[in-house]
Amino acid sequence: MTTDPLAKLAATPPPREAARRAALDAAMAAFDAAETVGEKNPAATQDLPAPPRPRNAINEGRPLMRSAFHMNPALAASLAALMIGAPAGYMIYSRHPASPMTNTLTADGGADVLIGRAAPQNAPSDFVKKVETDTLLPGPAPVAPPAQSYMPAPMPRRELQAAGKARTVGAVVQRPVAEVVSRERLAHPVLDEDQALARKEHRDKFEAHVTNPVRQTAQEPVSTFSADVDTASYSFARRMLNAGQLPPKDAVRAEEFINYFPYDYPKPDSADAPFRPTITVTAAPWNPDNRLVHIAVQGYALQAAQRPRANLVFLVDVSGSMMPDDRLPLVKNALRMLVGELKPDDTVGIVTYASGSGVALEPTKIADKGAILAAIDSLGAGGSTAGAQGILDAYRLAEAHFDKQAVNRIILSTDGDFNVGVTDQRELLGMIERKRESGVYLSILGVGQDNYNDALMQKLAQNGNGVAAYVDTLNEARKVLVEEASSTLFPIAKDVKIQVEWNPAQVAEYRLIGYETRDLRREDFNNDKVDAGDMGSGHRVTAIYEITPAGGRKLVDDLRYGKKGETPAGGDELGFFKLRYKLPHEQKSRLISQPIRAGSDVDPAHASTETRFSIAAAAFAQLLKGAPYLGSYGYDDVIALAQGAKGDDPFGYRAEFVNLARLAKSARP
Amino acid sequence: MPLDEPDADLATRAARGDRAAFALLAERHYDRVHALAWRWCGSRAAAEDVAQETMVKLARAIRDFRFESAFSTWLHRIAYTTAIDHLRAARKLVQFAPAQEAALEAEAAGANPEDAVMNDDLWRRVRALPDQQRDAVLLVYGEDMSHAEAAALMGCTEKTVSWHLHEARKRLRLSLEVAP
Repeated sequence: MTTDPLAKLAATPPPREAARRAALDAAMAAFDAAETVGEKNPAATQDLPAPPRPRNAINEGRPLMRSAFHMNPALAASLAALMIGAPAGYMIYSRHPASPMTNTLTADGGADVLIGRAAPQNAPSDFVKKVETDTLLPGPAPVAPPAQSYMPAPMPRRELQAAGKARTVGAVVQRPVAEVVSRERLAHPVLDEDQALARKEHRDKFEAHVTNPVRQTAQEPVSTFSADVDTASYSFARRMLNAGQLPPKDAVRAEEFINYFPYDYPKPDSADAPFRPTITVTAAPWNPDNRLVHIAVQGYALQAAQRPRANLVFLVDVSGSMMPDDRLPLVKNALRMLVGELKPDDTVGIVTYASGSGVALEPTKIADKGAILAAIDSLGAGGSTAGAQGILDAYRLAEAHFDKQAVNRIILSTDGDFNVGVTDQRELLGMIERKRESGVYLSILGVGQDNYNDALMQKLAQNGNGVAAYVDTLNEARKVLVEEASSTLFPIAKDVKIQVEWNPAQVAEYRLIGYETRDLRREDFNNDKVDAGDMGSGHRVTAIYEITPAGGRKLVDDLRYGKKGETPAGGDELGFFKLRYKLPHEQKSRLISQPIRAGSDVDPAHASTETRFSIAAAAFAQLLKGAPYLGSYGYDDVIALAQGAKGDDPFGYRAEFVNLARLAKSARP
Repeated sequence: MPLDEPDADLATRAARGDRAAFALLAERHYDRVHALAWRWCGSRAAAEDVAQETMVKLARAIRDFRFESAFSTWLHRIAYTTAIDHLRAARKLVQFAPAQEAALEAEAAGANPEDAVMNDDLWRRVRALPDQQRDAVLLVYGEDMSHAEAAALMGCTEKTVSWHLHEARKRLRLSLEVAP
């Protein structure tokens, strides 16, 4: 047999993990859905060789539906040819003309629920509108007419690759089957195929960004970036390190490591000038010739009485993958804690999404805390993910109770793969941006590991004027939602941009540590149309530059024919710091600026504990990222530096950091 | 739950609604289902769909599983019929000659490296065989079934399977020789 050429038919390519996960999730969802139906009619389905198809009282005697059912493979197949292996992209459709709000997987009166994978990647935009308007219909919607299908006709992902396949798809869509399909929303995979392939061990998705390079002041004197107060990267790395593994390099964002920790910087005096910068220049611990310019910006902390009312909608992913303890149960605890932090006048609504989307709690005043807590308790995981429907519902709810004076915010809790039913990622981002304009903001609470889609979550939060926090433990949830509740919920400024102009007479080279994903163009600084990061009450942001003083040993050689000899104004300044921000309800930006001067004492040991600790955090992130600028500086140095700069540390964050640095020494890549 | 618990026990418990047992069972068999789906469909996309479809059907039907055959045989049957349904449905819609269809499938698959590597001439020719011959070949050589098992699945006699194989070999050899 070994010489038989047919023997090689035994070998097939291995399945992709994402597809595998998707299929298994779908199977679990179907298993759960079949539960009640199965009990009713145990006798059936042994009449093979026909493929086993579920039968129940409703299914019997409806030939049209049965034939539709038979079409399912074709439909699923061809539509699903579009599907890229997102862990959970399913289309769930029920022939039960239920309202999209109530249509969930768990057996509503025995309606049989079909699951197929499907997802048009590049659906035309009118498709989006249709979905959007349709979603806004209140109450039970009628079954859509045959022609009004949610399958966009031209679309498949393989269209370019295979004309033949595309034709097949088109043909399927024309068929009356589409009528049955029409009700439920399509779920959307958002990752790109190569990304999914590239990731073998864990499917968490991170966007790769090149570490900020050393720039020559003579050529590029101005550095511009957007403020960032996200912390997800640090929590994610902590989780991996605690599991004995180094985080993927792309998952490490130095600015989020630095900004994770609460620092006690000098505070601004009033909400009218909500920021106070403190700039410290110190020698770089990893290169005594270089200086670190440590820029700390402290935001104003609103007093409880100044806090606006909050109109919150919790959008909770309750798909099957949220079942583990570190996901939905954690989210539920976190939300309970948050509810405890709110004032009686604030309102909370809850929208869940899994296979379908539903309102678990109409917006309710905190005064009625019991009802809110009961609704949180009743959340359970099961089914696949149809995030887009959920997000539309959440916006609908938030808008229905929109209060111009209040903070209107959606808090999305998910383990990541957010299936964007609203066509592609860009459409979703666009929608979130439009909603932001209308005053509804979005924050993200990420949980779980394996399919955490970091890049998407960060983008969603950025576009929604929100924070993306990754929560791995209850302690972290407490930090984000309780300790930092007011900063998470109540913005003091939006579009916060920072620009530093370096003085070539003093600074030969500079590099910004981190903020790669927050890079802005020089001209965007003064352009109020360009969106940037937002800061909540009491937030602080720290940026660290490493500079090579003029005349020092430079990393990049001088240009032989470059300009020389001009001495600009402000001769002894290292550079000039500028910060632009808008107050929450204003459209015109305001400016804060100050020159950067080096003191005579640059001994790092004399810098404040806050400064030293943030430098340790920056060094740690760079080590994890494998950035090339640290020379022989290693984890032991980071540990020593952080140990000596623990300060008060009431919640033990800094002690934990030291611990993580120790773990990193022995973690496997 | 021990990871090596036999299929039959898991299936019994899954049939009673034990979620964990079902999850383990599904996990354990997915790869084989996917392999079968790929053999028939020849493209990753289609294979993934068929495999998922199969798993969903399995989930719906498991509570009615009566142990009239081994669990794996039963699942195989679901996968096989799902794959056939898929191919038939595709063909019903666009009537290509089998060879053209195979070429199109192969072209569609060319975009991803595994499919491209795996879908060589032999696969293409096997998929272009008349249905029954193709099924016989794939069941016996791909799924490593006995003629009897293949016959049971295809709903014909063992002899017929042998005959299909014989015919297929004749055809394949012929076309393989003609190929440059």
